Amino acid sequence: MANLTLSGTTKIFDDGGEDIVAVNDLDLDIEDGEFVVLVGPSGCGKSTTLRMVAGLDTPTSGTISIGDEPIQNKRPQERDIAMVFQSYALYPHMTVRENMSFGLEESTDMDDDEIRETVEDAAETLGITELLDRKPGALSGGQQQRVALGRAIVRNPEVFLLDEPLSNLDAKLRAQMRTELQQLQNDLGVTTVYVTHDQTEAMTMGDRIAILDGGELQQLGTPMQCYHEPANVFVAGFLGEPAMNFFNLERDGDLLVSDAFRYELPSEIATAVDGKTDVTLGVRPESVEITDEVDESEHNLIPATVDVVEPHGDENAVHLRLGDSDQANLTVMVDGMRYLASGQDVGVRFPPDAIHLFDGATGEALHNRELTNVEQVEEIGTAQSA
Amino acid sequence: MAGSQDTVSESQNVGTGAERDWQTRLEVFSKSDFARSFPYWFIPFSIMGLGVYGGIGYNTLISLTDYEGFNEGPDFSPGNLDLEMYVQTVNDPWVWTTGKNTFVLLIVFTTVTMVLGLFLAVMLDRGIRYKEKIQTVYLLPMALSFVVTAQFWLWMYNVNNGLINLLLGAVGLGPYNWIGDPSLVLGAVIFALIWQFSGYAMVVFLAGLQSIPDDQFEAAQVDGASVLRTYWRVIIPQLKSSSVSAAVVLVIFALKAFTFLFSMFGQYRVPKGTDILATLMVREAFKLQNWAYAAAIATILLLMALAVIAPYLHYQHKQGSL
Repeated sequence: MANLTLSGTTKIFDDGGEDIVAVNDLDLDIEDGEFVVLVGPSGCGKSTTLRMVAGLDTPTSGTISIGDEPIQNKRPQERDIAMVFQSYALYPHMTVRENMSFGLEESTDMDDDEIRETVEDAAETLGITELLDRKPGALSGGQQQRVALGRAIVRNPEVFLLDEPLSNLDAKLRAQMRTELQQLQNDLGVTTVYVTHDQTEAMTMGDRIAILDGGELQQLGTPMQCYHEPANVFVAGFLGEPAMNFFNLERDGDLLVSDAFRYELPSEIATAVDGKTDVTLGVRPESVEITDEVDESEHNLIPATVDVVEPHGDENAVHLRLGDSDQANLTVMVDGMRYLASGQDVGVRFPPDAIHLFDGATGEALHNRELTNVEQVEEIGTAQSA
Repeated sequence: MAGSQDTVSESQNVGTGAERDWQTRLEVFSKSDFARSFPYWFIPFSIMGLGVYGGIGYNTLISLTDYEGFNEGPDFSPGNLDLEMYVQTVNDPWVWTTGKNTFVLLIVFTTVTMVLGLFLAVMLDRGIRYKEKIQTVYLLPMALSFVVTAQFWLWMYNVNNGLINLLLGAVGLGPYNWIGDPSLVLGAVIFALIWQFSGYAMVVFLAGLQSIPDDQFEAAQVDGASVLRTYWRVIIPQLKSSSVSAAVVLVIFALKAFTFLFSMFGQYRVPKGTDILATLMVREAFKLQNWAYAAAIATILLLMALAVIAPYLHYQHKQGSL
């Protein structure tokens, strides 16, 4: 077991004379036994980062160390890592047992008996003992996935790398494997880097998540920190389903103004946007309140029209139009029992303690929502990583 | 047909249970795919069948007679049919010599061509630049006619001014009489054939290699295998179907090496060292008019080819493609 450190890691691909920066000056410090999820849209550099740790790509500059030892110039064979591929990459001509033994045969000097024992132990952990003598072609997607995991854990590596391992499974199995993987990582206590584009996986699995975009680290923190205290507009919009609502507004004193509505900031929040003229207001769908009565005189109550209601069962996603906009520009989650009809006129309220403010030009967070107790978020985070 | 029509008309009149049954069966049969597609497959099948299986059957029949010379046709009377020609072949030392040459040619040519082809394919797959051009360079000999390559190698092997001897002479070896020396000529012929066919083997293997996804290499790398071990344990075993199809084609070419030898030496009598069953067969038939004897050799050659192809057919059958 060891910690994994990336510092100033940069990868530039040469695409016919044109430089493409896949990863730009990435600093990551992953502690021993920690489960870190790299998440971001496709092309954000998360897979390249993982491949650099694995040794399948060489960083253009910067260092990668396991423990205190820099490994960026070592070959994958010498790195003491194990990797699960998105496609699983099982060897089709070998049985499950041979697939799992291969790494041990090639990288350790264990004798045959030891290898057999180790493989059988790992197979038992994963519940695939009865599959050991089958070939990958005869296994279902979920079983192949387990074998791919087994092939990695049997090596007992310093660092465990997973590249979108659940993306080829159906939704139900994916949810189940999410829990199992977390459990497994917890039991093994191996430092783990997990790459995904799925924010649900990121939120639910990681001790910490690293959100990447355009090859740059946007934020590194516990899922709760990233969700409630996003560093910028990108993080705020990436995490959460449905996504956070954003409005580009102009500031006029304590007043935020757009064509659709005006919103008056409480004076203690207004200080956060001092000196900025363009401000992005963000509010999560579950934080917005909807009133059936539209009382024009109420402070900060914005008139809106219900456009579409999507029932999710336990809750409904309501898409609304603010002001005289001709398409839905606000999504609100309301209780599943609450009835709202398409075309209905309602009023919406953005509770001042639930709003986020971002710099309209740079996207940097200027003010994040208030939680009853910020330490609570920290606690949630640390409890997860423990 | 007339009988069945009668049955049909009768059954219309009388209509007993059994006849009705016969009628419905006939109706079902006439509507079945087999009957309806009959005009389409029967014509090509009969042409092909007459040409190939008819030929094989007639050859086998001749091999059972004592037919020789020009004067009269083969005598197919039952009393005349026996396995005497096969007994003769087994007792003929020349058949054994040529059989041995055929076998050596088959094994050495096929093995070396496959290994060389695999090596070239792996090299190209490792990403040597100008890949397309190199591929063409190796495949080019395959496009040439046997007549051309045979003549070309005859010049190459020329004892006095052939390029091979000139090159060897430059390092102080030779000259060797590649064609004249019975102990060298088979090797020389095999080498020329390998030169011509390794490009083919390479293309087959390259196609196989390129269908293997990159992550197989990467997984093996992460598993700690060296490049050599990766190819040996992970990649080459996955080329099984490429190997089988390359091997079958090469073996068939080895058995057909007659064309190459005839082009090289311009006659049915080729040097003893490189005399194979095919050349012996043609010589017995068209030079010595030992028709029945030649037919027996042809049957042996066919059995050899079948023996070689049987594992392939079995493999295809196991894969469910037959």
